[in-house]
Amino acid sequence: MSVFAAMLLGLSMGAVFGMALEKGRVCEGGVILCQMQMSRHTMLKMFLSAVITGLIVLSVMVGFGFAKLSPKATLFAADVVGGAILGVGIVIAGACPGTVLAQIGTGYKDAIFTFIGGLFGALLFTYLEPNLLKPVLTSGAYGKLTLDQVMGLPFPAVALSFAAILIGFLVWLEKVSPWQGEIGPKADGLVETPSAPAGEPAKA
Amino acid sequence: MSFLTKRAWSPYAAGIVVGLLQIPAFLFMQTALGTSSSYVTISANLASFVDPSITTIKYASNHMSGAKNWWQVALIAGIVLGAFVSSRLSGTPRWGVSPVWAKAMGAHSPARRYFMAFLGGVIMVFGARIADGCTSGHGVSGIAQLAVGSFIAVTAMFGAGIIAANLIYKRV
Repeated sequence: MSVFAAMLLGLSMGAVFGMALEKGRVCEGGVILCQMQMSRHTMLKMFLSAVITGLIVLSVMVGFGFAKLSPKATLFAADVVGGAILGVGIVIAGACPGTVLAQIGTGYKDAIFTFIGGLFGALLFTYLEPNLLKPVLTSGAYGKLTLDQVMGLPFPAVALSFAAILIGFLVWLEKVSPWQGEIGPKADGLVETPSAPAGEPAKA
Repeated sequence: MSFLTKRAWSPYAAGIVVGLLQIPAFLFMQTALGTSSSYVTISANLASFVDPSITTIKYASNHMSGAKNWWQVALIAGIVLGAFVSSRLSGTPRWGVSPVWAKAMGAHSPARRYFMAFLGGVIMVFGARIADGCTSGHGVSGIAQLAVGSFIAVTAMFGAGIIAANLIYKRV
C-alpha cells in the first residue's frame, strides 16, 4: 500500500477511534484518575470491551485464515519497567498516549502540553536506546510468546474462553456499579459537583 | 444519527467500536491498533531538521518512513478530528483544564498544571517506548492477541498507576 493510501485509511480509522474515545468519555482526565484510584470503572469497562471484541474478531480472522497475528515480543524487564513508568506517566498526565489526542480534539489546553511532552519522551528514548537502555530492554527475552502457545491450544479456543471470562466479569461489574452513575452530570468523570446550584437535578 | 449527538455512549458500545477497528488494521495494514510509536515517527522527523545524524540511529530510521509508520501518524491525527467532531455534535466542547485537577491537587495555577501535563507526557511515552507499547498497543491489541509480554506490561501499568494515583492525589 502506498504511504498516501495508508494515511487516508489511518485518518478515517482514527476519526472513528477518536469519536469512540470521546463518546466513551475516556477523553476525560477525571475518568482516567478515578479509574486509577479504583473508585469508578468507566475506563476499565471500555478497555475490556475493546479487548473482548478484539479476541472475538481475531479468533474469526485467524481461524478462517484472513489474518496472521502480530504480537509483540515478550521482554520481561522492558515490559515491567516500561509498563510501570507508563502507568505513572498516565497518572501525572491524566491521559494515555492515545487518549491525549482525544483530549486535544475536545479542547483541553493542558493536553497540548502532554502531547509535546510525549514527543520529547519519544526523542529521549530514541537517543538513549542504543547505549543506555539496550541491556535493560533485552534481559528476559522470550520472543513472540502468546498464551495459546504456552498452553499448546489453538488460538481461537483460548481467546474465546478468555473472552467469555471477561464478559462474565463485566456483567458483574456493571451490576455492582452501573455506567450511567459513573460518568457524572457533566460527563467528565466527576460525580459530585459542589459548585452546581442547589436543587439542580443531575442529568445522566 | 442521534447516536452522534449523544454526550456519552455506554463504555461497552464505545469499546466494541474500538475493538472492531482491528479488522481494517489486520486486513489492510497487517498490524494491530497502536498509537505510541507514532510519537517516534513525528519527533524523529522533526529532530532531523536540527540533528540530521539522528537517521544513523537505527531505532529512529526504523520509524521515520514507510506506510505503517505514517498510517499510525494519520491515525492519531484522525483521533483529534474524531473527538473534535464528536464533542461539537453533542455540545460537550471543553476548554482550559478539567475541574478534576482542582479536586485532585487543590488550588493551583494553570502554569503548574501545564508543567505537570508536559512532564506526564514525557514520562508516559518514554515508558511506552521502553515497554514497546501503550494502552492501545499492549492493552487493547496485545491482550487481544494473548501476548504474554502484553499481560506483563498491562499489569505493571495498572499496578504502578494505581499506586501513583492514590499517593499523589486526593480522592476524586
